[in-house]
Amino acid sequence: LIEGQELVYSTIRAIHGAPSTRARFAIALGLMSAALFSAPAPSGTLTEKASAEKSPVGVYQSSVLPILEDHCYECHGDGHDKGKVAFDRLETDDQILKTDLWLRVLLNTRAGLMPAERKPRLSAPEQATLENWIKYDVFGIDPASPDPGRVTVRRLNRVEYRNTVKDLLGVDYNTDHEFPPDDSGFGFDNIGDALTVSPMLMEKYVAAAQSVIAQAVPLEPRKPAQNVVPGVAFNGTNARSKWERRQLIFSEPANVAATYHSVLPGTYRVTLELEVNGSYNPDPGRARVVSRVDGKEFMNQEFGYFDEKTFTFETTQKWTAGEHTFSVALEPTAPSGKKETIVDLFVKNVTIEGPLEKEHWVAAENYDRFFARAIPKTRKEQRAYATELLTSFAERAYRRPLRDEDTGARLAALAEATYTQKGNTFQQGVAHAMAAVLASPRFLFRLEAPASKALDTRFAEVDECSLASRLSYFLWSTMPDAELMALAERGQLRANLDAQVRRMLADPRADQLARNFTGQWLQARDVEGIASNPRDIILRDAGEEAILGDLFAAWKAQDEKTAKELAARMDAIVDTRPELTKDVRSAMREETEKYFAWVMRENRPITEFIESNYTFVNEDLAKYYGIANVQGEEMRRITLPKDSPRGGMLTQGSALLVTSNPDRTSPVKRGLFVLANFLGTPPPPPPANVPALEASDAPHNGVQPLLRDVLKVHRESPMCASCHNRMDPIGLAFENFNGVGLWRDTERKQSIAADGSLITGETFHSVTELKRILVTGHRQDFYRTLTAKLLTYATGRGMEFYDVETIDRIVKGLDDNDGQFSALLMGVIESAPFQKMRTQATMTVAN
Amino acid sequence: MKRMLTREMAAQRHESLSRRQVLRGLGASIALPTLMSASPAFANSASKKVPTRMAFVYVPNGAIPAAWWPAGEGGADFALSPTLAPLVNVRKSLQVISGLDCVSAEAGPDGAGDHARAGGTFLTGVRIKKTAGSDIKAGVSLDQVVANEMGHKTRFASLELTCDVVRKSGECDSGYACAYEYNLSWTSPNQPLAPENNPQFAFERLFGEGARHERVANLKRRESEQHSILDYVLEDAKSLDAKLDGRDRQKLDQYLTSVREIEQRIAVSRTMPVANPDVDAPAGVPANYSDHVALMYDMLLLAFQTDSTRIGTLLVAREGSNRPFNDIGISSGHHDLTHHKNNPEIIEKVKLIDRWYIEHLAAFLEKMDKTEEADGQSLLHHSMILYGSGNADGNRHTHVNLPLVLAGAGGGAFKPGRYIKARSQPLPNLFLSMADAMGTNIPSHGDSTGRFTA
Repeated sequence: LIEGQELVYSTIRAIHGAPSTRARFAIALGLMSAALFSAPAPSGTLTEKASAEKSPVGVYQSSVLPILEDHCYECHGDGHDKGKVAFDRLETDDQILKTDLWLRVLLNTRAGLMPAERKPRLSAPEQATLENWIKYDVFGIDPASPDPGRVTVRRLNRVEYRNTVKDLLGVDYNTDHEFPPDDSGFGFDNIGDALTVSPMLMEKYVAAAQSVIAQAVPLEPRKPAQNVVPGVAFNGTNARSKWERRQLIFSEPANVAATYHSVLPGTYRVTLELEVNGSYNPDPGRARVVSRVDGKEFMNQEFGYFDEKTFTFETTQKWTAGEHTFSVALEPTAPSGKKETIVDLFVKNVTIEGPLEKEHWVAAENYDRFFARAIPKTRKEQRAYATELLTSFAERAYRRPLRDEDTGARLAALAEATYTQKGNTFQQGVAHAMAAVLASPRFLFRLEAPASKALDTRFAEVDECSLASRLSYFLWSTMPDAELMALAERGQLRANLDAQVRRMLADPRADQLARNFTGQWLQARDVEGIASNPRDIILRDAGEEAILGDLFAAWKAQDEKTAKELAARMDAIVDTRPELTKDVRSAMREETEKYFAWVMRENRPITEFIESNYTFVNEDLAKYYGIANVQGEEMRRITLPKDSPRGGMLTQGSALLVTSNPDRTSPVKRGLFVLANFLGTPPPPPPANVPALEASDAPHNGVQPLLRDVLKVHRESPMCASCHNRMDPIGLAFENFNGVGLWRDTERKQSIAADGSLITGETFHSVTELKRILVTGHRQDFYRTLTAKLLTYATGRGMEFYDVETIDRIVKGLDDNDGQFSALLMGVIESAPFQKMRTQATMTVAN
Repeated sequence: MKRMLTREMAAQRHESLSRRQVLRGLGASIALPTLMSASPAFANSASKKVPTRMAFVYVPNGAIPAAWWPAGEGGADFALSPTLAPLVNVRKSLQVISGLDCVSAEAGPDGAGDHARAGGTFLTGVRIKKTAGSDIKAGVSLDQVVANEMGHKTRFASLELTCDVVRKSGECDSGYACAYEYNLSWTSPNQPLAPENNPQFAFERLFGEGARHERVANLKRRESEQHSILDYVLEDAKSLDAKLDGRDRQKLDQYLTSVREIEQRIAVSRTMPVANPDVDAPAGVPANYSDHVALMYDMLLLAFQTDSTRIGTLLVAREGSNRPFNDIGISSGHHDLTHHKNNPEIIEKVKLIDRWYIEHLAAFLEKMDKTEEADGQSLLHHSMILYGSGNADGNRHTHVNLPLVLAGAGGGAFKPGRYIKARSQPLPNLFLSMADAMGTNIPSHGDSTGRFTA
């Protein structure tokens, strides 16, 4: 949070209308006496509902059916059953009150997809009658107490596990490397139902627990002193800097050195850490690296390309007191494929441990954090101390107090079984039991409990410890911190919800929401790894794709001369565009994350996710985008030039790249991306046995066709047209951005037109105009879509029909607050699904 | 045989279109380091009876039928098709089988999503539930059915491997949860067995961590340390158990069965020697996909050679994979290409990819073939490696007449060296025959209608 820019959360009004103040809201919450939202004004259909003839089916016959007859029967009645929907065939009550049918009706009429193109819309009162009947009669939603739904107990996913262990013990355990990827559901990897446990994962959990505890918990009060000389302390020939680290590059001889002053004579263990970090594309450049201590060589190795890998080298030295020198020298051995190598050698640091002689040991860092008192002498006292230590650790790890439980005693017994074995220490026993805590289901799963007082027979608020975890895993992807836990234990969290959310957003940990939510909502996570062939894409733009085939043929025929000529021609074309390096890809991901975080923390209108005049870049990304005057590695917000098409997330590199094929754009994927993630109306997938098109790419009259022309096939086939008329025009609006997100004026040497029209009638001539249409005419669709996505992420379950009410209220809140992010966020946090749980068939914790 | 650390291999790699690589990609033989030499299998020398092994290797998006199927009417004197040509050195050990179907993967009432269904149905034989994540339901996969019967005979009941490291974020195929595409093995209808993608971890799990001479001791120490932790958490989980309902209980059951399975393994491990193959552990996931695939096959090979398990699955790439193959000059994605609309140029590219996958299979089978067992027969003879896809023609998303090769004789249960034009029947029929060869007696599986008959 930038200083002086106080968040304007006070502008949030309670989601529903009346000037109810936040204070009143908070009191209501504190007393747990009211529903979270005041009920909406009962609609006409609701007030009349009491009478028997106004039963749901009665209302259908009297009020809903006439609307359907007027507007829908042309395709869905009188013998027509387009899309297998025929309203005149609904006969029994069960058929009439089928939720999935009416959910589709609700979505399609709201999105303006039904009544179909060029047919008259429903009037506002008609739409309201229909919606109210669907929500309150068919879905049976009780506006005074919406169903919070059912969340299956959530296992920590690998991001949450990593963050939790880091907060709990200060150890960064690389779960991306160690654990298998988590299965996702509904587009997110934190969905309780989709997260499973297998024997292999369980083995990894046990091994991780042991490893983390071994790193975190000092077993002895004293140990050899440890000092670190950072890489940046190394100076000398060609000592470059990058990311505030000491960088040598493979194509340039370098020799750097640093010194260290040892106070005592003795034996020292010296560990050098180097990292090889290449750009995304492998480079053949190699270099020999020699490292010396006091002029004596202890490491001599040739390195080649690595994407990112750390190497450690260790040596033991007998030292006198005084100055000692470490040096790292690099000599290129094989030329790079580029003018300048894109492989870096980072000198990370040198760690000096010693003197190793016991008499010189110093107090172990963190030892007091785990073992604050001296180890007692008697068995009984030891057990009591172990119980005390392990209870407090388990409470933090399990994210709730252990009440009336024998957990502490059982853990102490486990510790005792270890420390009473010959040769083991008390500390080892306690550490062993701590590892068991990290392997327990109560650590690995997020167990939740209802507050003691149920609101009614079906739903209860979750207790405050559960709420603390819901908040922290939603906003931070990690365990609650001490302040949240303290409030929850005192039952004060709900009363301070607003202030806590504000505090949490200001905390850097809230970047996790930006990262993990946009990472999946917009697939920004994928931009660093997605397969992409910029060479093919750039050649295509230039109309020179043929070179590739020719080159391949020349190689196949071992015609080296032709191959060389072709390769040179190819390079000349490709080199006219900026290179998609690993750094550029990372900057693209960060751009999307920082952009989201900005809107979140500055409480900007969420329409800025689609349209704005700013973005986030560093020098690499600015150059890639063709934006001048940005220097340095750090990402910063810039105001875009007036005619820039880049504002908003749709035209950021990450979105453009993840919606492309490896060798070209995919307007269909881009159209689908917008429909699914911004408008909430993804068309159904193609019917079976219809080849996904885009392949009728044969030259026409000797000219390679543009994608726009290829896609015309869709419009000519009635079976394709109904969906592709929705996707293709949107995707084609982005055609000025090629498959690696670079602006282009031509495809296959022909100029690109970006104009088109939406199925709902609006026309546009550029992607900028399309964005305008999305944030004006389709603002509600976007509000609903983003709300559903964020609610899915926050609650860990897919949206069900009964969630319509919750989503509608949040959308109303957005409408009333100019779309401010806070209305979305607080709307989600204050909603029934986030605050409550079903009381039947729910998980309860063991207390 | 020269052994090279993966680290060094990756260091030498250069993905841009270099001549060396183009030639290497096109060449019939890929020079890959192997982790084994043609030495006898490590274990089971004590027992007379050589055990039978079984593995399922999955490749995505089907295969171009015209290039896959051999010409002629079948029988022993068949000529390998262009796609299968790299298997020439193990031809006598192959059964190319047509006529096998995964009809449960067809659209039926569920509409689009043929890739998810092809993957999810392949080993389970059931129609998977169409859900984006709330109530995933497939069936127990055949490898796990057999593992339940005989898994206790080896240190590991089964081994699940994959070469997919990075996953696509967001939603998967047409309203199906991602679990169906990324997991071949299912231990219960709602519990997939996530496969290992890191060859180093696969190796260390089998043989222990650390330097060669320390591995076995490290493994034993780790197992004994883990034992008491597992005892503890089992108790802990049981104390929660009584308080759970429905799907929460399902999750805890997954946890409990996982813990119990590790405990059983540790118990079994105490009665069985741990092999210590004379090779170094791989150094992580190679940067190059080709090296990665080769190493994962090597892990399967080592597991079988050492009799650490008799049942394995290898997901070479998830169903629907859109990987480009730059090594062989293919810069478009595999899945995109399979929708070729009969464009001959694109079909040629898909054939190259089909063949690329087969080349890796061939290298693996040749190593299996060169591994001699105690009875003088090869490891391949004593194995059944079923290779194929749950999609037949990727262009049209068909699931009948799947491209399949069964390599090995299952210890004599099968008579390989044939192209079998079988009548149309469910793929699980073949599974039942394979399970018979493993010495189990499984009455039915998925949509099976009986044992496999030609």
